[in-house]
Amino acid sequence: MDAFSAVLQGLPMTIVLTLSAFAIGIVGAVPLAVGLSSPNVVLRLACRLFVDLVRGVPIIVWLFLLKFGIQVGTFKFNPVGAAIVGLGVVSIAYLAEIYRGGLESVPRGQNEAADALGLTRGTTFLRVLVPQAFRIVSPSIATYLTGLLKDSSIASTIIVAEMVFQSQAFARQHPTMEGILPYVLVGILYIVLSLPVAYLSRSLDARMRKAVYA
Amino acid sequence: MTLSEIANGKLAPRTGIRLDNISKRYGDHLVIDDVSLNVEPGTVTALIGPSGAGKSTFLRCINLLERPDSGTIQVDHHTIEPGKVINAKDLAALRRTVGMVFQSFNLFPHMSALKNISFPQQKVLGRSKEEADERALQLLERVGLKDKAHQHPGRCSGGQQQRIAIARALALDPSIMLFDEPTSALDPEVGLEVLAVMRELADDGMTMIVVTHEMQFARDVSDTLVVMADCRIIEQGDPRAIMSDPQEDRTRRFLRAVLER
Repeated sequence: MDAFSAVLQGLPMTIVLTLSAFAIGIVGAVPLAVGLSSPNVVLRLACRLFVDLVRGVPIIVWLFLLKFGIQVGTFKFNPVGAAIVGLGVVSIAYLAEIYRGGLESVPRGQNEAADALGLTRGTTFLRVLVPQAFRIVSPSIATYLTGLLKDSSIASTIIVAEMVFQSQAFARQHPTMEGILPYVLVGILYIVLSLPVAYLSRSLDARMRKAVYA
Repeated sequence: MTLSEIANGKLAPRTGIRLDNISKRYGDHLVIDDVSLNVEPGTVTALIGPSGAGKSTFLRCINLLERPDSGTIQVDHHTIEPGKVINAKDLAALRRTVGMVFQSFNLFPHMSALKNISFPQQKVLGRSKEEADERALQLLERVGLKDKAHQHPGRCSGGQQQRIAIARALALDPSIMLFDEPTSALDPEVGLEVLAVMRELADDGMTMIVVTHEMQFARDVSDTLVVMADCRIIEQGDPRAIMSDPQEDRTRRFLRAVLER
């Protein structure tokens, strides 16, 4: 088997890890972001503690803790499960911080106008604050997603057969100059994969700009 | 049709509002000191005074954007005591009765002018989209901005945005309108379009409370002039009488500063 085919074998797993963790993060970060700006001190501090704890520890440590440190009855994480949960929880923490920043950058007058009109808090959040915050944070979310794509390679350390894992396997079998080839290829592949994200983010941003200021 | 007829479908039920012993402090800092004000149905009250006097804060206490620490608010058979727990029904009733226009317009930038006016009607009054859109278009026409219906606020001038904001508030059929320095962010010339709309609304008999530095508007349009300084009302009465013969030294100093500019 040539180096390129070897690396490509890991592509589906890289995509699965990245998109699963991203999906968990995108959804899970919503309640956490609300908690981070809650007027309730206890709730706010608890959310803050969670975010700082998750972000303060390297992802590789979280993956090892989940993979080897958790056993409830007969339940243990398999490598893929541990990687998805680990990357997902880290994504929740980072994205929650991004959401919070976005929500806080919406001018206070928007909230006041919604209150004065008698809109409910739920309507205000979903129809007034979120659409404005989303426009502000969408570039940051795209940046996070490309980062997450690359961070998914850390799953190779707990034996998840994604692209870097496959590159290493190939390199081990070819201890010559050829062994460096899969790493070159995998590097290029990460760049190629991140291009559509950057493109999507830019076109989305342009479209929203147009929608707001047209 | 007049503005308030359009806003209400028929002539507005005239509602007044009565505020008693309103006080508000931020920490140790007193911002409203035991202020009482009775606004008769269908009258215009102009609230003037030096900055920092508490005018805007007091106005924002009326619809509870600011929560007073004590006092009572009576409007439309509802009595609200902001110092105590306010139930959601009373708050909703208060906000439905009272419309507000802000210095910085606060239109929703991601919605067209039409949607800014139509969307709250659907959410707050449960109107159908067709009905709300129709009402929005009527109001836009009345404030001279029908051609801006499908523009976003970012494409409108400040004066246009403020007129859209007035239409947005009127669309919910308020019986009382609060104006918080509605022309202060506008060029003098542009401010005139907004004042013209407000004048018309006053002529229709809308109950209005207006925080303003527009002395001519206060003199010509308001029925009652209220002067605030140092967190309290220091003088109130007929606008012409106060402006020509203020009883309080503090009022005299303030009027001299604004009128002899």
